Amino acid sequence: MVEYWNGGMSKIRFYCPLPHYSNTPLSLKPSSEVPDMSQFESPVSVLREKKELLIARFLKGDEPCFLERHAKILDDYFRESFAGSSVGPRIRMDKNPYAIIALGGYGRKEQCLHSDVDVLLLFKKKIPDEAKEIVQEIFYPLWDIGLDVGYAIRTLKECSKLACQDFEVLTSLIDARFLCGISSLYSDLMEQLHGKVLRRYGHAYIGWLAERNQGRHTRFGDSSYLLEPNLKDGLGGLRDYHSILWAARAKYNLKEPKELELVGHLSHDEFQCLSRALSFIWGVRNWLHHLSRRKCDQLYFEYQVKLARVLDFKQGNGQQAVEVFLGALHGHMEFLKQQHLMFLNKALPRKRGPGKAERRAVAKGLEVVQDALNFESPETILHNPKLLIKIFERSARLGIPLSIEAKRLVKEFLYLIDENFRSSRAVVQSFERILVAPSQTFNVLDEMLNTGMMVALIPEMKGIVNRIQYDEYHLYPVDKHSLRTVQALKSFGGPGLEAQDTLCRKLFSEIARPELLLWAALLHDVGKGEQGKDHARQGAEIVRSVFKRMGFAEQDIEAISFLVREHLLLINTATRRDLNAEKTVVQCARKIRDTERLKMLYLLTVADSMATGPKAWNDWIAVLLKELFFKVYHILKKGELATPTAIEIVEKKRQEVLESAAAMPRDALETLFDQMSPRYLLYTPSKEILRHIDLYQKLGREPFALEVQAVPGTNYRTATVCARDFPGLFSKISGAFTLNNLDILSVQIYTWRNHIALDIFKVKAPPDTLLEDEIWVRLKNDLRSALKGKLALGPALDQKLRAYQSLRKRIPIRPDKIVVDNRTSDFFTIIEIYAYDFPGLLYKITDTLFQCKLDIWVAKIATKVDQVVDVFYVRDFDGQKVDAPEQIGAIKEAIMEVLASNPTESRQPTRSALI
Amino acid sequence: MKKIEAIIKPFKLDDVKEALTEIGIHGMTVSEVKGFGRQRGHTEIYRGAEYQVDFIPKLKLEVVVDAELVPEVVKMIEQKAKTGSIGDGKIFVSSLDEVIRIRTGERGKDAV
Repeated sequence: MVEYWNGGMSKIRFYCPLPHYSNTPLSLKPSSEVPDMSQFESPVSVLREKKELLIARFLKGDEPCFLERHAKILDDYFRESFAGSSVGPRIRMDKNPYAIIALGGYGRKEQCLHSDVDVLLLFKKKIPDEAKEIVQEIFYPLWDIGLDVGYAIRTLKECSKLACQDFEVLTSLIDARFLCGISSLYSDLMEQLHGKVLRRYGHAYIGWLAERNQGRHTRFGDSSYLLEPNLKDGLGGLRDYHSILWAARAKYNLKEPKELELVGHLSHDEFQCLSRALSFIWGVRNWLHHLSRRKCDQLYFEYQVKLARVLDFKQGNGQQAVEVFLGALHGHMEFLKQQHLMFLNKALPRKRGPGKAERRAVAKGLEVVQDALNFESPETILHNPKLLIKIFERSARLGIPLSIEAKRLVKEFLYLIDENFRSSRAVVQSFERILVAPSQTFNVLDEMLNTGMMVALIPEMKGIVNRIQYDEYHLYPVDKHSLRTVQALKSFGGPGLEAQDTLCRKLFSEIARPELLLWAALLHDVGKGEQGKDHARQGAEIVRSVFKRMGFAEQDIEAISFLVREHLLLINTATRRDLNAEKTVVQCARKIRDTERLKMLYLLTVADSMATGPKAWNDWIAVLLKELFFKVYHILKKGELATPTAIEIVEKKRQEVLESAAAMPRDALETLFDQMSPRYLLYTPSKEILRHIDLYQKLGREPFALEVQAVPGTNYRTATVCARDFPGLFSKISGAFTLNNLDILSVQIYTWRNHIALDIFKVKAPPDTLLEDEIWVRLKNDLRSALKGKLALGPALDQKLRAYQSLRKRIPIRPDKIVVDNRTSDFFTIIEIYAYDFPGLLYKITDTLFQCKLDIWVAKIATKVDQVVDVFYVRDFDGQKVDAPEQIGAIKEAIMEVLASNPTESRQPTRSALI
Repeated sequence: MKKIEAIIKPFKLDDVKEALTEIGIHGMTVSEVKGFGRQRGHTEIYRGAEYQVDFIPKLKLEVVVDAELVPEVVKMIEQKAKTGSIGDGKIFVSSLDEVIRIRTGERGKDAV
């Protein structure tokens, strides 16, 4: 006992000392005197003090065997209070032997800080009346000091009867450990358990364990438990280890966990790994009990950062300390989970019965034994290292998992995989076949990851193994997430078991090279293993070198690296940008370039989000993403604004403008550039853009700015108007032109996103060029009045146009035509008007559009033979396309009325409008 | 006390949040919602299959503030959430009977 009183006690004393100590601090007492106090102190006080000291040492990090020592302290308590019991002697031990026995976790000496204490008061024959008094004497004081004690009083017979009926009881008895009393009674109990109960029910018990674990795993496997794992009941929790132990005890009558190695279940290395994993998880659990001040096994968010600190995890390699900690925890729990699965697989009763090992060769060096793939012998691997990948390929093809032995061999022989192996064409092809193989009930890629094969083949993945991202968003470590992404993609191509997204299924079936997409999915987050912020960009670089090594063709490497680099483009744009802005979508389209790449990127985005967790993927996000997909798709399909040439042209112009425009600060210029619409940038020469920028600067606070230029060698003028946009602006400008006898030949109108309208008119020079300047001044005045609302253009024009009534009438050869197109653009309704020209026509049409509450964003006015072709890109005043049939009908009717008022046409009896 | 609920375009959240934080609003609830008002849904057709978008994704922002703060908060949301085109959303202001902070049991103004 002395050993517990050394160390920490000279410095630290917790809680209030007992009364007879109150004047003498413990620290002044020589430690050799301490054990003596048990002679005059009650066992429960001794227990409490020992526990305090133990905790103090634990908190200082001086106590590596806390659990065992903690159990020992309790053992001492039971023994001492049993020895000093006043009731005990009244029970005749020789007549009715009895014993106190530790059960469950206490029986296994896994006593965490707030673990409960399960004990059994076992009698050989019958339970005497004094039993209750013993409970009062020995167990009650423990309750008083706040321990969670559970006890049972049973006879030997009752024990075995209950154990047969209720496997929960059997489970707790299986860990039984003798504390005090008559030890032979304990031997009797264990003999009964193994001789009677387990002999009869052993298989049933293991089956029950497996079933119960499955239930536990589904219950604790859900997302919230991944972020806040349950150290005991969760996947890879301590219960997984206990189940191995219980099953082994049932099967092999195992006494000590170490014997797992002896019965041949675990290799020496694996047992070491297991010990490390357990001691890590127990350490975490004990700290968790301390921090939460209760028996808490779920690692809630609030404790994770604190735990990383007390367990002395340091930040590094771009990861927070808590991420490193969770990564380590995850690794250990994953190991437990794997061991558990393997063990149950082995221990579970087989249908064919043991001993009938059926062997079947399936390929050179590989065989199937008891429904699992194995190597013929370890030597064959040495002769033919390619078997290391072949076995996985075969497993994927046949749908048969690797045997435990095979997985062990793969791990042991991983050192054979070198640079030549990795870059071998045959190996890469095998890997690719595994990648594209339809997913089985078990996942071959998972097994490749767990055996270390994946990292051996692609060492660049090392950094993402068990890499945790500390947030409520990323449910899985990066490596698992990557495999889940691959899996999600494959599900698009697989049979429609679940109600899958039909669009994804369709797109997946259309893409020409699904393997490129799957490669990209496998490595899309590989950049997260690096330091730095932009993991997508870094990943793209890494991927480039990986596939170069693997001997991929340049354009394939480019495709994969594009997918990796841009794997966040769609999701970020969909959730963070205005999808109603054409520019947003065009920019996306320009990065993506063709519909094939768009389809792959969309599928990768969906799969990536699905594999991240429910916060990253839900119907709400799906709708946004789908909307973006269709908009980009349409732009790419039309191929006007997003062709490679278009991208080049615009970029060149941008450079030219930035270099030449000295009048504005560069960043203001860049901002302005961003406001310009894609269409404007594509179709306006950079020289013009520069002039427009000048004009825009002249605008200042004026209602509009006008610039007139003669087109050399022609009788035309270019008049550019820059003004703040508002509905009806365009009709007012064109009205003012007509009013001043300026005949509009064509016009381009553009609207920048900062609501600046730029209207470029090509007009015939006035008949009398001598006084031309006067005409422009008059135009400006008229326009100013019209914009201010002082000049009613309609009546003024009507009056003017009466003068043209006498003109020669013509008979139209082709009928007028109005087309309303809602399919070409996702952002605008396009109205095309084919008609015979007459003065004031443009004003009347545009004014009508304004009366119909339409805002003109783009206009192309041109003449085609003898007809004019007017094309308007419009939206309603709410900024929405016009697609209600009655609205379209009304617009057509209104414009038709304008066309019918053509004063220069002779009326036909019937006019048909082709629509 | 008043509760301000705002339905806004998803990509405007950061702007609005930032602005509200600046004027001292430190708590808000954000939820992903779908619905429609004057901005209608639409149908996409891809290779013959129709993909109906009935409800449009929006964000709902809920802020509880003292009555005197309401005009400022509303103004901020209005300014920041505006794009000028349809679907910019709506702001609802309603009276609140009681606020209780569960952890401490504080009531009324203290609990906001």
